[in-house]
Amino acid sequence: MSKKKYCEKFSVPEHLQVPLGACIPAPVKEQRAMITGNWRTERPVIDHEKCNLCLNCFIFCPDSSWHLDEEEERMVWNADFCKGCLLCVAECDVDCLSVENELNFKGGVVRLDKPY
Amino acid sequence: MAKEMFLAGCSAAAYGAALARVEVISSFPIRPYTGIMMELSKLVANGELDAEFVHGEGEHAQVAIAYGAAAAGARAYTGSSGVGVTYAMECYSPASGGRLPCQMAIADRALDPPGDFGSEHTDVMSCRDQGWIMGWAETPQEILDNTIIYYRIGEDPRVLLPQFSCQDGYFVSHIPGKVVMPEQSQVDEFLPPYKHPHALDPTKPISHGPQIYPDQGPAINLQRAQAFLDTPAVIEEVIDDYNRIFGRDYSPFLEEYRTDDADFVFFIQGGHARTARYAVNHLREKGVKAGMVKLRFVRPFPTEAVAETLSKFKAVGCVENSTSYGGAMKGGNLIHEVRSALYDVDNPPAVTSFMAGLGGEVVSLDEFYSMAKVLAEAAKTGKVDQYVYWVNFDHGV
Amino acid sequence: MAKAVETQNLERVKSIRRVPQEEYYVPGHRTCQGCGPALCYKLVSKATGPNSIYLGPTGCMYVANTSYLCSPFAYPWMHTQITNAGAVASGVEAAYQVLIRKGKYKGKLPNIVVMGGDGGSIDIGLQAMSGMMYRGHDALFIMYDNESYANTGVQTSPMTPYGANTTFTPPGKAIPEGKVLFPKDGPQMVIGGHPAVKYVATASLAYPVDLINKVRKGLNVVGPTFIHIHCPCPKGWLFDANKTIEVAKLAIETGMWVNYEWEEGEYTYQHTPKEYTPVKEYMKTQERFSHLTDEHIAKMQAFIDAKLKAPGKPVPLPVTSPRESV
Repeated sequence: MSKKKYCEKFSVPEHLQVPLGACIPAPVKEQRAMITGNWRTERPVIDHEKCNLCLNCFIFCPDSSWHLDEEEERMVWNADFCKGCLLCVAECDVDCLSVENELNFKGGVVRLDKPY
Repeated sequence: MAKEMFLAGCSAAAYGAALARVEVISSFPIRPYTGIMMELSKLVANGELDAEFVHGEGEHAQVAIAYGAAAAGARAYTGSSGVGVTYAMECYSPASGGRLPCQMAIADRALDPPGDFGSEHTDVMSCRDQGWIMGWAETPQEILDNTIIYYRIGEDPRVLLPQFSCQDGYFVSHIPGKVVMPEQSQVDEFLPPYKHPHALDPTKPISHGPQIYPDQGPAINLQRAQAFLDTPAVIEEVIDDYNRIFGRDYSPFLEEYRTDDADFVFFIQGGHARTARYAVNHLREKGVKAGMVKLRFVRPFPTEAVAETLSKFKAVGCVENSTSYGGAMKGGNLIHEVRSALYDVDNPPAVTSFMAGLGGEVVSLDEFYSMAKVLAEAAKTGKVDQYVYWVNFDHGV
Repeated sequence: MAKAVETQNLERVKSIRRVPQEEYYVPGHRTCQGCGPALCYKLVSKATGPNSIYLGPTGCMYVANTSYLCSPFAYPWMHTQITNAGAVASGVEAAYQVLIRKGKYKGKLPNIVVMGGDGGSIDIGLQAMSGMMYRGHDALFIMYDNESYANTGVQTSPMTPYGANTTFTPPGKAIPEGKVLFPKDGPQMVIGGHPAVKYVATASLAYPVDLINKVRKGLNVVGPTFIHIHCPCPKGWLFDANKTIEVAKLAIETGMWVNYEWEEGEYTYQHTPKEYTPVKEYMKTQERFSHLTDEHIAKMQAFIDAKLKAPGKPVPLPVTSPRESV
């Protein structure tokens, strides 16, 4: 009686590989596999002079794209991830944030290396 | 010196779990497996077993609690019967795909409608595709041993799969049999503490189960398929080790009973194999060359062993304790697996099947003799008239 | 009245300035612009810190956050079925209890947090949530409420307000208001019948510091705790993405949302307006209500008025049960 193999070992191409049990390591500071900066058509622009560090932009951003540089005592904006929802502009205590078209900026509209 | 006790299958399973040092138990009552949980609750309450006994709000929750505990790094144990098993169905794939080796003790039961407490294998057989290790015990001794053995198989890093350890409701779960109790030290030697490669642990954070896009699906499924290809070798190692430490004589996949010169065999799993042995003895006394081959694992199905073993005979009768309505053979489940396994064999045996014990009715010696009559004829002619016989109605065929 | 026994002592935050800058819900997730639930996740993650294990049942906060094969969760996180988050969390908690007791896990019990959507908490996930509340597991169940089954395309859930247009409750000739049913009350379901629960609260994105403090209080208290968080959803409720906080504030001003705490029998209220604005002002801001007539709006107003008499305005009467006056 012939012993036939009923399954063969495959090798999965690299771009389709998945870790064991679909378990991935946790991100640390950012999740660079989901860059969202290219979603926006407008961006918030801060006038640091007017800013009173109320931190509303920091607290209300769903994408954590504003944080306080404690040393410089300045708000820092994350161009790679800001989706341009403009919640920060709406909630700013002193209206120091204005809205500008993304295309006005060199390097505006974050480009991905490859599409998802 | 190992202690001998007279235990019903429910108690035996419970003691097996206790010896396996299970750490999280999730309970919910349903006949006939409830006794397992009742026994374990006593052990926990008396401080004899250090485990969390969690009262699940239903069978679906039980399995979720068990795989959550397994994900967090604890050895988890749960169980059910009948419609409880099918109610929890949603949770089986997450557990096996998530590679979470919890164990579910099953004392099987016929599915509704209507209410029927009797034994039937359909409940768990319906879940064969969910990626769990699965097998039936014939005796209380075997269910105690399987409980411990299945943890060792499932937790092996080459496997990492959850397990259904099954026994026939009432026939095994409630009828006492002789059990040789292992020593805790033997079990500790055989079964190392559970350790998962990617447990939920704040010191090593992981994201378990993120959304994938369809192209990534096959690779994840292949992992499970690969695990099942690697499992038989692990089973062989484990059974060897168990036999050595505990003095048993289990064969990994198939047990052959008086098959040396058999013309035909009953192919069977679970408690009714007991009766089959007696039937074989009586038939042999009458000069009929009958034998029995007992299946110990449904998943992974031992395709090669089945092909090799069953090809020795002229006829095979699958004793079906589960239904597959509208299936390829319009009867039960074992015949599909057996015929597939035998497809490539030169001169395969004639294969038929007997729906027996459905609803929990007793599979009597008379029913086995009816089966033998059919099989003897098939062995002679090399052909079968029918693929499916309902033996409780086909007496005298 | 007795205060609930504490298991740990996470500090109360006094102002936005004192909210930790560290992110444990990191940038890089596929949620909508202005997503309320995403903001909720961020705030809760700041409140719990990294010694936590999160359970994420299927929903927007699963699919949108983890598409594809990535996640924004810097702590250990596990996907659960939409039906069983409470049960899986129970299993995780039970495991840690025994692992710590046996000395197999050397650290302290991590914060175990369920982030369930409204469906995964009080509809399809209700049974598991109730089981977890009943059994006394030391874990926190958070319902992030965007008032629909949003991820599947905004279908009605038991938290969808009366009169809301969803893709299962579209307004039409035969059913002019769209949604006919009034919503469940999640916290009241927990408060009424789960003796192991010593702390229940509601919170809103409008008051993020209050939200963080309530989450910390819930974690500090021993046993299961439940927090219901109002998360306006621009895509589902049909308003501009930059108005999420404005809508959340208006909900509180009109009584459509009430912030309160219940601690072992005692209610305290936060952010109660001196005078309630008519609900019409709230409903005007979202297109999901744009088909309603004055008659329908009046019905909504009546429902809210009755609800406010309950755990709403602090009334001088000795109210023992919030359901008494309804």
